[in-house]
Amino acid sequence: MILTTFAASSEPHISLAAEEIFKLGPVSITNSIILGVIGVGVTVALLFYVANMLQNGKRNFVTGVVQWAFEGFYGQAEEIIGDKTTARRIFPLAITMFFVILVTYWLSVLPGVGTITVNGTPLFRALPADLNFTFALAIITVVASQVYAVRKHGFFGNVGRYLKNPIKDPIGAFEGILEFIGEFSRLVALSFRLFGNAFAGEVLLLLIALLTGYVAGLVLPFFMAFELFIGFIQAYVFFVLTLIFTSLALATHGDHSSSDHSPAVTATPAKQE
Amino acid sequence: MSSLFTQFAATAASEHGSEEKADILTSLGIDWTLLAMQLIAFLILVWILGKFVYPVFLRIIDERQEKLDEAGKAAEQAQEKAEAAEEKIADSLKQARKEAADIVATAKAEATQMVEKAEAQAKTRSERIVAEAHEDIQKDVLAARKTLEKDTISLVKKAAGLAVAGIADEQLDTALIKQSVEGAKK
Repeated sequence: MILTTFAASSEPHISLAAEEIFKLGPVSITNSIILGVIGVGVTVALLFYVANMLQNGKRNFVTGVVQWAFEGFYGQAEEIIGDKTTARRIFPLAITMFFVILVTYWLSVLPGVGTITVNGTPLFRALPADLNFTFALAIITVVASQVYAVRKHGFFGNVGRYLKNPIKDPIGAFEGILEFIGEFSRLVALSFRLFGNAFAGEVLLLLIALLTGYVAGLVLPFFMAFELFIGFIQAYVFFVLTLIFTSLALATHGDHSSSDHSPAVTATPAKQE
Repeated sequence: MSSLFTQFAATAASEHGSEEKADILTSLGIDWTLLAMQLIAFLILVWILGKFVYPVFLRIIDERQEKLDEAGKAAEQAQEKAEAAEEKIADSLKQARKEAADIVATAKAEATQMVEKAEAQAKTRSERIVAEAHEDIQKDVLAARKTLEKDTISLVKKAAGLAVAGIADEQLDTALIKQSVEGAKK
C-alpha cells in the first residue's frame, strides 16, 4: 500500500483535480474516491437502517427525519413532473443523487479532510469536489431525461424537438438548435455548479484554518455550519434540476414557453399521461 | 502566505504546461475511466436502493395516502349521512308539526261538537223542564179550578139555600147551580 505516511499538513495543498493515492490495477484510486466510498457507505447504511426500521414498524428520530425528507421530496417530484407514474420512475435517481451529494458534501466538513496527507497528498477529498463525479451525475441526469423523452415522444418525436424544417418554421428551427445547445449547457452547468461549490468550500475551510491560526477552533465552526448549509442547498438544487430537466424533456412543444431555457427559475410540468 | 495564494495558480499552470496537448476537461481532472466507473457505480447504487430501500418508503407513503383517501371518503359519507339525517329530522319535524296541527284541529272540532251537543242537550232539558213545569202548572190550575168550582158551587148552593129556603130541596139546588155554572162558563 501507498498509505505509508500520515501527517498533518503544515501548508494547505490545493489541487483542482482529485489526486491519486494508489492504483488498483489499471484504475487510479483518488482521494475523492476514498471519501466518496465512505460517504456512499454511510448513505447506504443509513437508508437501509431506516428502511429496515420502518419495515419493522419501529420509529426514532433518525427514521423520522429521513422519512420526512423522503416524503417531502417525493411530493415535490410529483408536483414538478406532474405525472405520478413518471415521477415514481425518475424519483429513485433524483433522491439518490440528493442523499449521496448531501452526505459526501457534509463529510468534507469533517476534521482531517484536506489536512491528513499521504506523501504530501491529502488522503480525503469531498466527492462533489471531484469533477469526474459531478460530470458523471450530470451525464446521468441529461441521459435519463432524454430516455424518458424518447419513451414519451418516440425516437423521432424527440429528435423533432431539436431538428425542425427551417423553411416551414424558421423560428422553431432556431429554437431547436438552441434547445440542442441547451442540453450541453445543462450538462456543464450541473457538473460545474456542484464541483465549484464543493471545491470552493474545501479551499475556504483550508484558508480560514490557515488564516485564523490558533483561533481556528473558534472561527471554523461557523464556516463549517455554512458549508453544511451550502451542501444541503447544492444537493437540493441538483435534485430539483434533475426533475425539472426531465419535466421539460417530457413536455410537448406547445407546453413550454421560451423561458424554459431558465429551468431553475421556471418549469412547466409535463402533462398528465 | 504568498506561496499559499500562488500555489493554486501555479498548480493549474504546471498542469497546463506539462500536458499541453491535453484538453480542458483533462486539465480539470477529468479521467474518463474513473468517470465511467463512477457513473456505473452510481447507477448500480440507484438500482440497489430502488430495489430494496425506496419501495419501503414508497409503500408507507402509499399506505398513508390510502388511509387519507379512506378517511376522506369516510368523512364524505359521514357528511352525506349527517345531511340525510338532517333531512329526515326536518321531514319528521314537519310531519310531527302537521300531525300536531291535525290533532289540535280535531280536538277543537270535537270540543266544539261537544259544546254544541251539551248546549243542545241543556236546551232540550231546559225545554223539557219548562214543559213539565207548564204541565204541572196546568194541572195545578185545573185542580185549583175544580176546587174553586166545587167551592163556588158549595158557596152558591149555600147562598141560594139561604135565599130560597124552603122552595126547593137540596137535589134541585145542586142541579140548578151546575146548570148555572155551565152557562156561566159558556
